[in-house]
Amino acid sequence: MSRTIRAFVIVTGILLMIPQVSQGIPAFARKYGFNCNMCHTAYTKLNDFGQRFRNSNYQIPGQEGLEKNVFETAPPLALRTSFGLLSSHTKAANTSGFVLNGLDLLSAGVLHKNISYLLIYTPRLDEPAADHTGSAAGSNPSQLGALESASLVFSNLVKGAVNLRVGRFEPSYKPFSSKRSYYLIQPYDIYSFTTPSNDFVFDDNQMGLEVAGHFKSGFRYACGIVNGSGANPDNSRAKDLYVRAAQVFGRGEGQNAGQRVGLFGYFGWMPTVSDDSTFDFAGQGNGSSHEPFRRIGCDVSLNWQTFNLHGMFMQGSDDKGIDSGATENYKFTGGFTQLDYAGLMNNRMVGSVVYNWITPPKSDEERRSSSFSVLLRYYLGDWTAVNVALHAEYTHREEGKVEKVKTDQLGLLVDFAF
Amino acid sequence: MRKLAAAFFIAGMLFCSLLLAADNSAPALTTVSAHSLGPERLGNLPPVLVPGNNPQTDAKILLGKQLYFDTRLSKDNTISCATCHDPALGWSDAGPTSSGINSQRGGRRAPPVSNAAHSPLQFWDGRAPSLEEQAKGPIANPIEMGNTHDAMLRTVDHLPGYVDAFRKVFGDVPITIDLVAQAIAAYERTIVTTDSPFDRFVRGDQTALTKQERSGLEIFNGKGRCTLCHWGGYFSDGRFHNLGVAPAPGEKPDEGRQAVTKDPLDAGKFKTPTVRDASKRPPYMHNGTEASLLDVVRLYNRGGGTDDANLDPLMFPLGLSHREIEALVAFMSRAMVSTNPSVASEKPVAPEELPK
Repeated sequence: MSRTIRAFVIVTGILLMIPQVSQGIPAFARKYGFNCNMCHTAYTKLNDFGQRFRNSNYQIPGQEGLEKNVFETAPPLALRTSFGLLSSHTKAANTSGFVLNGLDLLSAGVLHKNISYLLIYTPRLDEPAADHTGSAAGSNPSQLGALESASLVFSNLVKGAVNLRVGRFEPSYKPFSSKRSYYLIQPYDIYSFTTPSNDFVFDDNQMGLEVAGHFKSGFRYACGIVNGSGANPDNSRAKDLYVRAAQVFGRGEGQNAGQRVGLFGYFGWMPTVSDDSTFDFAGQGNGSSHEPFRRIGCDVSLNWQTFNLHGMFMQGSDDKGIDSGATENYKFTGGFTQLDYAGLMNNRMVGSVVYNWITPPKSDEERRSSSFSVLLRYYLGDWTAVNVALHAEYTHREEGKVEKVKTDQLGLLVDFAF
Repeated sequence: MRKLAAAFFIAGMLFCSLLLAADNSAPALTTVSAHSLGPERLGNLPPVLVPGNNPQTDAKILLGKQLYFDTRLSKDNTISCATCHDPALGWSDAGPTSSGINSQRGGRRAPPVSNAAHSPLQFWDGRAPSLEEQAKGPIANPIEMGNTHDAMLRTVDHLPGYVDAFRKVFGDVPITIDLVAQAIAAYERTIVTTDSPFDRFVRGDQTALTKQERSGLEIFNGKGRCTLCHWGGYFSDGRFHNLGVAPAPGEKPDEGRQAVTKDPLDAGKFKTPTVRDASKRPPYMHNGTEASLLDVVRLYNRGGGTDDANLDPLMFPLGLSHREIEALVAFMSRAMVSTNPSVASEKPVAPEELPK
């Protein structure tokens, strides 16, 4: 019995670890009649044009106002999901099961010259399903969904140099998007690392506003003010700030071409006292006290032919006041290094390896982790607006200092975007 | 107080954003040089649009054809429209740039006449808004046909065969440069490409393209990013781009579209040429600096030419492999070649057949 419970817990843990979101918006391909790898090296990873298209807020760079808006084109809708078999092996247990790996319902496009939007609705796909009547009936009460993104962008307030995004969105402080990573099971550990008593997740979408811009010199910047705590309500009245700056050398965006280096910093406030009985106009709890934390780091993306080597290093620090039991600030470091390769005719196959590591403070050494992942994806079809990829991904992870827990995961999935 | 100020600042920013972004004054299409809002899907060419003030008639098309091939429109009877827009050379010339009267060489090569009816603006820099306006230009250009409109009209007026033909087409009115241009434009509107292997493939013939050409099409519309500019049935957006093409050795930089708009942002921009029948008219680019389609693809694969002063934001290195380049070239050089008799095998009007 205990073995069954343990297996259930592990499978549930794995399911929760799988990112519920990963993007690719075939609605754009349908709008223009382009193949998907116009914007993607191979979906979901953006190529240089795709990145610049995104930076131009879903308008063809240099031709803003010369294209159809969402009311003049096919419905700007898309979906993405993946399904397959996931198995995990630890010293304690072996588990395997079929997984339906999230579902994104996307809509995006240009509403008007220099006004665009992005909506992503993500229904929850927890197990057991809502109609389950077995022993675990009722443990998934409502199959709720969530708006992962709902944002408006006002572009070219100053041509290219000032674009304003408002709503809930993927903030630009992240140098590499986990949502547009090839990895379905194991993207970036450091993005989802949380510290004691601080529920800030670096990878979460944020609610607020962001100003971003790009220049012909290759310089890019973004800065924003957000609630913090990602998609969760924030009990703090103080808002979090972030800033990012990057420089691309050579032609490109550093995705497939050009070489890019960047810096980022996130400066937040974690509430230490909350009073949920008092709500402000945004429906958030009214935190009466808070303490600071920060995440700062650097990143690099290097390209040679169809190889892309990229990585980032991050240092985090939480004020000791956030954790009532702490005697000193919680400081940690982490990052990843990833090598991607696109091969075969028309990037029909991609391969990738990534190494992740997290080094927590000595007081929390059992959370030290490192992992090594490798994947292979093969794309079926003819690169028109319907895409199917066969996806194989393996991860070996080691966690802990004294008692190392080793986990091997293998996923065989079909990744589908329409 | 500080919070209030911050709230005002944010609200002000949002308000200004809305005001600035909700710019309703989209420029007129002729101003922005867009024949439609695009990109549009690759496909067959739509029917040619004929302006209401210059309807097509068989007699007018024949008259236009005669004028098109008639060297007597030039100052020294040596240059006709067809000298630089030769059907046997893909309706362009051997290049690298075009040469006119007294062997004078211009700075640009002749854009193709085939399918030019689908282009919203004419010339590499788009200075003519119609085929009619375009047809007037070279006659009076000192390094092309070297004539004046008046002198050319006097020549035509002294040829009874032309006088009769003009009377049949336009009625009993004086021959003017506008009528000459209308006739030539009417003929040029018949030079369209509708029967390439690509066209047959789009119409449902799955055997029309080889496997390599289909791969090339896939790259053309994806990894090669060609359709960012070469879209629609015309395989051109009709807009203007700076590809970073450097001047030919010994030549001065060409200001391109900027000469028309006077806008520095248009420096070095040239109209996107159609890919249809492109393999019939090497060399390439406005100044003929790329000898073959393979060279053109290699240029794009490098992310454009060496002059990046005003490089188009759509230019990036593409990362195409040798096989991918070959497939792309195969698609453009074979699958885009039309077999329409009037385009592929058009014969010049022999001098003895011209009106006397």
